[in-house]
Amino acid sequence: MTPIPDRRRGATARRLAAVLVSAAVIGSVAGCGDGGSTDVTAPDAAHDHALGGDGGTDAHAGRGGHGPVGGPVGEAVSARGRAMGPQGRVAQFTVECGHSHSAPDDPIVHHGKPGRAHLHDFFGSRETDAHSTPASLVGTDTTCQNRKDTAAYWAPALFRDGEPVPPTKGVAYYRPGVGVDPSTVEPYPEGLVIVAGDQTATAPQPLDVAAWHCGASPVLHSDPPECPRTAPLGVRVAFPDCWDGERLDSDDHQSHMAYSATGACPASHPVPVPQLVFEVHYPVWGDPSGLELASGGVRSVHADFVQAWDQATLEREVRTCLNREKVCGVVSNRATG
Amino acid sequence: MTRIRSPRRVLAALLALGLLAGACGDDDGGDASPTTEAADDGGSGEGDGDWRTLRVPTDYETIQAAVDAAEPGDLVLIEPGVYEEAVDVTTENLTIRGLDRNEVILDGGFELQNGIRVLADGVAIENMTARNYTTNGFFWTGVTGYRGSYLTAYRNGDYGVYAFDAVKGQLEHIYASGSPDAGIYIGQCYPCDAVIDDVLSEYNGLGYSGTNSGGNLLIVNSTFRYNRAGIVPNSGSYELCYPERETTIVGNVVYGNSQPDTPAISVALLGMGNGILLAGGNRNVVERNLVFDHERTGIGLVPFPEEEANDVVPPQEDWERPCAETRDDPLPERSEEELALVLWDPVGNVIRDNVVSGSGLADLALGSLQDDLASLGNCFGGNTFETTAPAQLEALAPCEGDPTATDWTTGALDLLELMAAERPPSIDYEEAPTPEPPAQPNMPDAETAPPRPATNVPFPVDLAAITVPERPEGT
Repeated sequence: MTPIPDRRRGATARRLAAVLVSAAVIGSVAGCGDGGSTDVTAPDAAHDHALGGDGGTDAHAGRGGHGPVGGPVGEAVSARGRAMGPQGRVAQFTVECGHSHSAPDDPIVHHGKPGRAHLHDFFGSRETDAHSTPASLVGTDTTCQNRKDTAAYWAPALFRDGEPVPPTKGVAYYRPGVGVDPSTVEPYPEGLVIVAGDQTATAPQPLDVAAWHCGASPVLHSDPPECPRTAPLGVRVAFPDCWDGERLDSDDHQSHMAYSATGACPASHPVPVPQLVFEVHYPVWGDPSGLELASGGVRSVHADFVQAWDQATLEREVRTCLNREKVCGVVSNRATG
Repeated sequence: MTRIRSPRRVLAALLALGLLAGACGDDDGGDASPTTEAADDGGSGEGDGDWRTLRVPTDYETIQAAVDAAEPGDLVLIEPGVYEEAVDVTTENLTIRGLDRNEVILDGGFELQNGIRVLADGVAIENMTARNYTTNGFFWTGVTGYRGSYLTAYRNGDYGVYAFDAVKGQLEHIYASGSPDAGIYIGQCYPCDAVIDDVLSEYNGLGYSGTNSGGNLLIVNSTFRYNRAGIVPNSGSYELCYPERETTIVGNVVYGNSQPDTPAISVALLGMGNGILLAGGNRNVVERNLVFDHERTGIGLVPFPEEEANDVVPPQEDWERPCAETRDDPLPERSEEELALVLWDPVGNVIRDNVVSGSGLADLALGSLQDDLASLGNCFGGNTFETTAPAQLEALAPCEGDPTATDWTTGALDLLELMAAERPPSIDYEEAPTPEPPAQPNMPDAETAPPRPATNVPFPVDLAAITVPERPEGT
C-alpha cells in the first residue's frame, strides 16, 4: 500500500468525504435500520420530553465496592476500550437485535411500576414492560436475530433537540472478561439480572464501562463525538462479568455482580460469567450538540439486562464458543454498515 | 430439536435394516455401508479404516445426537428429510453426509442461526441443503482443515457457506443463493491454503466475499451471476489479518452482477454492478475469466474507504507475515486523525488474459484517490475488452515491459459514478424473490463412499490447464 503523505491526507479525506457523503447510496446505507437517517443538525423541536424520571432515587447509581476497577476515564483513547478492537481476535458470540419499543418502564429498578422510569429503548423480547420477570420473558417474541435470545436489553432513550431518536439496532457481544481464562467462563444462571453504568453520572465514567463511539471505531469518548455519516454514533456499555454465585439480583441490583480485574474475579464474586458488551447504534452523525439521554445529559450512559435466553441455547453458546475460544460470529459493523 | 418426517425416511430406514436388500435410492446402487453404531468395516476411508457409520434418524433421531456420539473419523449419514436443527460440531475429523443433496434439508425456519457450525478441525460436510437460517447455512470457524462438497445453501440471513479464521479448506460443487452478504465467503486467514472450485453463486449481495484473506487461496472454474456484485475480495481493519492479498481468480464465468432485487449488506450495495471488484485487494491474480454484462465495471480495482478504522494499512513488508503471527500483535496506539479515514488501495494486482465485455463504465478499471496510480503497481495485459478506465490501461500499466502510455487522466475512472450512484435498497432475505434452487447434482456414491475427513485439503489445482470458459448458452 502506498502511504498517503500526511500533508495530503486532509485533502484526500475531504475529497473522499465529498464523494461518499454526497452519495445517495451512503444515505441509504447509513439509514438502513428501522429509524431511518437523522442528522443531529436537523431542525429544532420543542424540548419537551420527560427527562429524569425519579429524581435520583434509582438504584442504577452508586456502585459501592463493586464498580469497575481502575479503567481510564475521560476523553482519551481507552487502552482497555481498544480490547474490542478488530473482531476475530477474541472468542465471542454475538446477537443483533432490532429496536423493539420505547417506554418509561424499568422492570429491574422499578418493577411493577409502569411509567416510573425515564424513557428506555428496549431490545430483545418484544414483551418487556414494568411487570416483566425473567420467567415471563423466556420464549417470547424477540427482535434478536437469534430467536432463542429472548432476553431483555434496554438503555435510556436518546433525544436530539427534545425529540427521541429511534435507535438503528442493538448489538450484544458476549465475551470472556478481559484477560479471563475463557475455559473458566460459566453460563449465566437462569433469571440473572445485571445493570451497568451510572445513570446519575455527570462526570465521565470509565471508558471501559460506558462510552460513545463512531461506527466500529476503537476510539471511545465520554461525550458523543462528531461522527461521519458512514460510521454513525453508537454507545457502548460493558457489564460486570463476575457473579457471587448465589443471588440473581440484589437490593441495589448491583452488589451481586462485580467486574474482573487483571483477568480474575474477586473472591466475593468468584464465578466468571460472559462479559456482555451492549452497543446501541443510532442514525446520528455530524454535530453532536443537542443530544441528551433520557437519564439526563450525555454522561449518564447505562444499560440493563434480564437474562431470559433459552437456557440450553445460552449454555451451548458459552460452552461451544467461549470455553473453546472460538469466534462464533462477527457483527457486520464495517464502516459503511 | 424437532424433525419433520419424510416418506423417504421410511424407505431409508428399511434400506438400512436390510429389509429391502437390493433396492436402492435415486442415485446409489452400491452396498450399504455399516449402519449400526457398533459396525466397523475397516473400509477404504482415508483414515485408519477404523470408523463407524451413524445414521440419522435410523440410529440417532437428530443430526446433533449423531454428531455428538461420533468419534473422530466416523461418518454421520443423514437420510432424506427436513431437519429443523442447528448443529454444532466439536469432534474432529468427522464426515457429515446427506444421502441426497436435494432431499436432506436442514431448515432454520428463520429462527435458528446456523445449519451446521463447525468448531473442530478436519470436518467435511457433503451432499445436503441448508436454508432459512438467520445467519449461515454452513459455517466453519477457527479450524484447520475443512471441506464442503455438494452443498446447497439458500435464503440464509448472512452467508451461504462461510469459513472464518479457518485454514486448509476446500469448498467445491456448491450452490449458494439468497444471502445478503456473500454466497461463498473465506475471511480472516493468511495463508488461507484453500480452494473454491465449481461453485454457482447467484442472487446474493455478493457472489464471493473475502475480507482480509488470501495466500494460496484459489477461486476457479466457478460461476458468479445475478448477484449485486460478483467476486469481491476486500480489506478492512474491523477484522484481523488485514489487508486482503494473494487470491488467485482463474477460469470463472462472471456475469449479470447488477441484480437489483436481492438482499444486500451495505458493501454489496456499494459494490453493485461490478463483476470482479478488488476493493482494497492486493497482489491478487485475475486470469482467464469470462466477465460480461455489468452496469459498472467488469474487473474493477478500487479503493475501499474505511472511516473510523481500528488501524491503518500495515507496511508492505508485513504482508507476508502469517495471520497466526499478526493476530496477537497489540493494536498500536493511533491518533483519531489517523483512524478517521483509512484508504485501502488496490496494490500489485495482476489482471491478465481475461475476456471482458458489456460493462457500463469500463470493462477494466483502476481507480484511486492517489494522484500517482502507477505507484500502486497493478498491471493489465492480454485481456480482451472494449473499454478501460483510464483509457489505454494496458499501455499505462502493462504486465510485460515498460509502459507505452503515460496519460492517466483521459477517461479516468469516475469514482463518484462508481460508488455514489443510487442503488435499489436491500430486500430482506426472508422476503427477497430468491428462486427456489433447481435440483443440484449429487455426490457420487453417497451411500457407499467411505468417510473422507478434511485432512488432505485443499486438493491440487492444475491452474495452467484452465482456459477461458465458453459463454453459457442463452446469455
